[in-house]
Amino acid sequence: MVNYILFETASGYALFERLQSDEIGAKLEEVQQTVLDLAKFGKMVKLKSFAPFKSAAHALENANDVSEGVVNEHLKAFLEVNLPKPGKKTKVELGVSERNLAGAIKAELGYECETNEMVLELVRGIRLHADKLLKQLKEGDLERAQLGLGHSYSRAKVKFNVNRSDNMII
Amino acid sequence: AKGGAKGGARVVVEPHRHEGVFVARGKEDLLVTKNLVPGETVYGEKRISVEGPDGLKTEYRVWNPFRSKLAAGILGGVDHVHISPGKKVLYLGAASGTTVSHVADIVGPEGIVYAVEFSHRSGRDLINMAKKRTNVIPIIEDARHPHKYRMLVGMVDVIFADVAQPDQARIITLNAHNFLKNNGHIVISIKANCIDSTVDAATVFAREVKKLQEERIKPQEQLTLEPYERDHALVVGKYVRAK
Repeated sequence: MVNYILFETASGYALFERLQSDEIGAKLEEVQQTVLDLAKFGKMVKLKSFAPFKSAAHALENANDVSEGVVNEHLKAFLEVNLPKPGKKTKVELGVSERNLAGAIKAELGYECETNEMVLELVRGIRLHADKLLKQLKEGDLERAQLGLGHSYSRAKVKFNVNRSDNMII
Repeated sequence: AKGGAKGGARVVVEPHRHEGVFVARGKEDLLVTKNLVPGETVYGEKRISVEGPDGLKTEYRVWNPFRSKLAAGILGGVDHVHISPGKKVLYLGAASGTTVSHVADIVGPEGIVYAVEFSHRSGRDLINMAKKRTNVIPIIEDARHPHKYRMLVGMVDVIFADVAQPDQARIITLNAHNFLKNNGHIVISIKANCIDSTVDAATVFAREVKKLQEERIKPQEQLTLEPYERDHALVVGKYVRAK
């Protein structure tokens, strides 16, 4: 069962630990119900660590890598510091939002990664309650970071198109 | 006089049935939104300035139903657009941002519009529009791959889509699974001959609605966009993820 979840935000990387609980079952339908209620969901996932990006340029670099499914040095270091070493008695199964990044993490760091429906449900819950769960951030911080990163990410996409040709889908 | 829908004492602006949308009643009735950035036009649209009883001026921008499918749907009498002040909207197929700018006016400073567009040519205009309207987050990326922009987006109340692609139902549901709140809504414009030009429009609409239903979307409304667009439908649905 997935016991850690990686959540990538415009402000930085977050790692959540999924807590075992008797009252909240492991069935997908039960999890779907639980994510709606922050009081219950907060008992199910706990913020293990949050590593903010150092600058706007640093955020853009990481956004580009995450978008392409690349594990860069920053993400590698973040996971190594915060997850128990793989292969020991403590079993690690990391929930990742996207398949390519999951594969890259497994290949680079050896952690078991999962991208199933359960992971999607947990990530939906974290995204819904992100500004409450990420205690270091104040209300509105995440949106401000999304705005800044949205502009720099999009500007770079448009700029790098040196031929100024369009990529319309026919 | 310059003519056209200029302001002045004879124009009265009233709230529309849809919160955040207004109607300017003058020589002719016009659909308008309250300009989030007074003094600025986005695409050469007309502005109307109205003086309130307190002497304060409010500026509105005319919203042309022949240029915006959402405006056409509102004038066509859609029951609910689910876009109102404070809402978070994921807008797929933002193009140059003309309709997006009106959606930004409607949701206001407390709302957010995540505007996704893949074409770089329109994307440049979109980015420039978003510089002035800070409740618009521009995302130049392929809406087919929502994971590519997952770091830029939060959970949203409604997805509006005008993507005109054969696989648009898949594009919309994929984004819904990732970013749409449970019991949130989708509002989509379907252009029949972009999906399949070999069968009649009604058949195309029915097939698209069925595809949405298979992906947890409960259809609530469907209306044609006549007389503003031919063979177009606006479909509104509710995303029911958990019972």
